[in-house]
Amino acid sequence: MSLRVRLLLIIGLGLSILWTAVAGWMFLDARQSLRDALDNRLAASARMVAGMVAQLPEPAYLSASDSRKPFDVIARDGVACEVSLLRSQITAQAIVRTAGGPDLTEAISGFGTHMYGKKRWRTYMLRQGNIQIATADSMDTREALIKELALSAGVPFLVALFGSLIMLWFCITHGIAPLERVRDILAKRKPGDDSPLAPIKAPLELQPLLNTIEQLLERLQGAILRERRFTDNAAHELRTPLTGIKTHIQVAGLAADLPDENKTLKAALGKADYGVLQLQGILDRLLSLARLDDDAVPVETSDPLEVVYTATEQLQASYPDISNRVLIKEQGVAACVNVARPLLLSATQNLIDNALRYTPGDKPIIVQITQPDTGRIRISVLDEGPGLNAHDRAHAVNRFWRRDRSVPGSGLGLSIVDAIARRHHGTFELLKRAGPGLEARMEFPI
Amino acid sequence: MHVLLVEDDALVASGIVTGLKLHGLTVDHVNCASLADTALKSSYFDVCILDLGLPDEDGISLLHRWRDQGLQLPILVLTARDALSHRITGLLGGADDYMVKPFDLLELQARLHVLTRRRAGRSKDFVEHGGLVFCASTGEVRLHGRPVSLARRELALLRALLQNPKAILSTEQLCDSVYGYEQSLESNAINVHVYHLRRKLGNNIVETVRGLGYRLGLPEKMDEL
Repeated sequence: MSLRVRLLLIIGLGLSILWTAVAGWMFLDARQSLRDALDNRLAASARMVAGMVAQLPEPAYLSASDSRKPFDVIARDGVACEVSLLRSQITAQAIVRTAGGPDLTEAISGFGTHMYGKKRWRTYMLRQGNIQIATADSMDTREALIKELALSAGVPFLVALFGSLIMLWFCITHGIAPLERVRDILAKRKPGDDSPLAPIKAPLELQPLLNTIEQLLERLQGAILRERRFTDNAAHELRTPLTGIKTHIQVAGLAADLPDENKTLKAALGKADYGVLQLQGILDRLLSLARLDDDAVPVETSDPLEVVYTATEQLQASYPDISNRVLIKEQGVAACVNVARPLLLSATQNLIDNALRYTPGDKPIIVQITQPDTGRIRISVLDEGPGLNAHDRAHAVNRFWRRDRSVPGSGLGLSIVDAIARRHHGTFELLKRAGPGLEARMEFPI
Repeated sequence: MHVLLVEDDALVASGIVTGLKLHGLTVDHVNCASLADTALKSSYFDVCILDLGLPDEDGISLLHRWRDQGLQLPILVLTARDALSHRITGLLGGADDYMVKPFDLLELQARLHVLTRRRAGRSKDFVEHGGLVFCASTGEVRLHGRPVSLARRELALLRALLQNPKAILSTEQLCDSVYGYEQSLESNAINVHVYHLRRKLGNNIVETVRGLGYRLGLPEKMDEL
């Protein structure tokens, strides 16, 4: 249901109920007042007739015989009147009666309602000595009066109510126009549109909502951009070795058809093989990252010092002079960290390998194992390479992020280290050193 | 055909270089935008293969810069990014063709020929010159219907001459087209290839312009001895 219809229904229904109740109340009140006024008129007429009868000398007909028909008096203001002579306590004989008026000899004392002929009458009767005076109003005349009153007050009321509902519709439409504008602008945006929200003239109450929408759009845009960059980088890292392999296989095919190109054939096959190894390395790393995304933390521990020594030993194959370049410092740390040994080894190896790759051969690389507090062990790899600026340090753990594509690598090493640290409730940070170079710092709980 | 390959990945680059060389093309490889600039200034190229993921400058901005500088060289863009928006940006940015990695080497070679052919204003794959018919993509040469076997360098020399039929090409220009700029060579190397071409295709295939270089001989003189 639209907001406009909802508002109209709630306010319109509320107004209608309230106004109808008020109108009903006023009508009942007016009807009662009218009835009281008509009753008072009836009583006043009776009293006036009684007063006049009392001042008259006793006429001859008062002593006339029973069979005599009452005198007819011509009615003037719609009130029927009858003057009767009391024969006893219960029987009365009418002597004067309004022409066409009902027989009121049977009327009760005070106000009453009676059926005479086929009509209902409102009666008032009073007795004065042996004279009984009764007045009556036709109930039909009274009801017609009340109907006329209801009609003359009800029609303007209905017109006003209907008019207010129409006005309400216009007011609501005008009032929610800013919302409509916002809805329009948002609906017109195309998916992938990264422009900021156009300025909208909106009331104060809508501003927080607009600001929230704007922030949400910005965040969404950022997320889409990161996702796109990730896909682009992943495509580049995975397709490049694949292209190398495919090209060299095709070169091998071409060379095989030509005489004297045996050397080219062998070289191409060797390079295709190298490409396969590269791709395999990337896929292995992606798989280990995927495994690290699994939430379960294994309950295994490892000795950080032993792991650091093993890592440098294993890197010796790629860096024969590693024993001269990497300096291991430990400050009496005897505890074990809560990380499975293969994972800690992989993380440490990644960091030392990175440091070796970016540091000139004559600069030392320091691996420090310290215990900053009782619950944690810190492994820091400090190099004197070119270092990273603040932006690069923030993005370096993103998957497939590479600062320099001319240096071989997959852009996944630091992502793996970060994933290992997170999974074991540890931390991984890249810090600027006081001098040149970078500090890669991992901390794990004991 | 002298090809400039701008590609940062050594494995892919070596594959393209070897593959295109086997097809008789002369390929020079650089691995970054600044070296590509230097190569373009120092040598004459027929076509350029540009990878968009370069370490020192984004390929698209390099493309824009080159086109702004008025570089007319046909450029084929190579990239791993296959999103439609990337391809459109590349083509609108001044690329003449676009291939997504991993590509087919034969297709790459065919597209390079199409680019140079289009640039020369031809719509056919072969060039006719007097009684000589030269197929640009296969490197096949026929003289009066008979196939003639040419060595790789001779083919490169003939290709360079046929691509610029009326121009005088200096020895250095021909060296660029035949050898690329990487190899050092003896001073009379081009003379030797010209000699072989004349021996196989007739004396008037190449005209020597004294002190300036060489020019493709006139087609009507082809059959004169």
